[in-house]
Amino acid sequence: MPAVPELLAEPSLSSQITFYYMATASIVSALLAVTRRNPVHSMLCVLVLLLHMAGIFLLLGAEFLAAVQVIVYAGAILIFYLFVLMLLDLPGEETRPRFGRHWPFAAAAGLSFAALAWLARMDPLELAAGVVPAAINTATKAPPQGSLEDMGQALHGPFALPFEIASLVLLAAIVGSVVLARRRTGS
Amino acid sequence: MIVPMRTVLVLSAVLFGIGVFGFLARRNLILMLVSAEVMLNAVNLSLIGFSRHLEDPRGQVLALFVIAVAAAEAAVGLGLVIALNRNKPGAGVADLSELKW
Repeated sequence: MPAVPELLAEPSLSSQITFYYMATASIVSALLAVTRRNPVHSMLCVLVLLLHMAGIFLLLGAEFLAAVQVIVYAGAILIFYLFVLMLLDLPGEETRPRFGRHWPFAAAAGLSFAALAWLARMDPLELAAGVVPAAINTATKAPPQGSLEDMGQALHGPFALPFEIASLVLLAAIVGSVVLARRRTGS
Repeated sequence: MIVPMRTVLVLSAVLFGIGVFGFLARRNLILMLVSAEVMLNAVNLSLIGFSRHLEDPRGQVLALFVIAVAAAEAAVGLGLVIALNRNKPGAGVADLSELKW
């Protein structure tokens, strides 16, 4: 079975160009999403962002998560947001101020988080490349074969309990949202 | 790895910063929740990048859990928005001052 990493070991120019295009497009669409006045336009920008992120996941070798991103995020969660947005029929949303009066502080907070990018550029991640994998790779001795098979093995092996807890969290969310959004009649 | 790990981290941090700005600055509850989704996506990106960098599938498993929690968060958050909207139409956080004294 040809291993996937060897396929991607030699970085080709076209995949790099694709990556940088996707990165630029996701940053631009995220910026548009947080600044558009019309909420529906914001949602559509988030949709563009999610699809480009799915492309980046694909380039990074996470095929299953790219599919999950498109199906669950773009297909279910975002449509859910759009449904609620249209259900509420927000009156006069276009005329309200988009940002609160404190938006410079919010911009400062966002910029300081984005400044972590500068930190990540400075640090060549020697720690992550040298020290950590030695400890991690002893835990997963098998060489990586394909991301989906590895994920399945991990989900049903060491992550079986968190997997069940995730289903419990989803069940609690379903029950909770039904209880919260129910119309209270009588009593 | 088609691009250096640090490029993925830079992209992740920038997207997270945009999400933080949107969450703190927008005055519409639904758009604040969507900004939180942008932040969760940035976290997923860095988890998957590290998973690729360290050749460890556990990063992808964690990203899957993050997606599950994001779905739960969306369901509960939008349920709250609907319940609030029933009491007081409009989804602006400025209208919700009942607990302020």
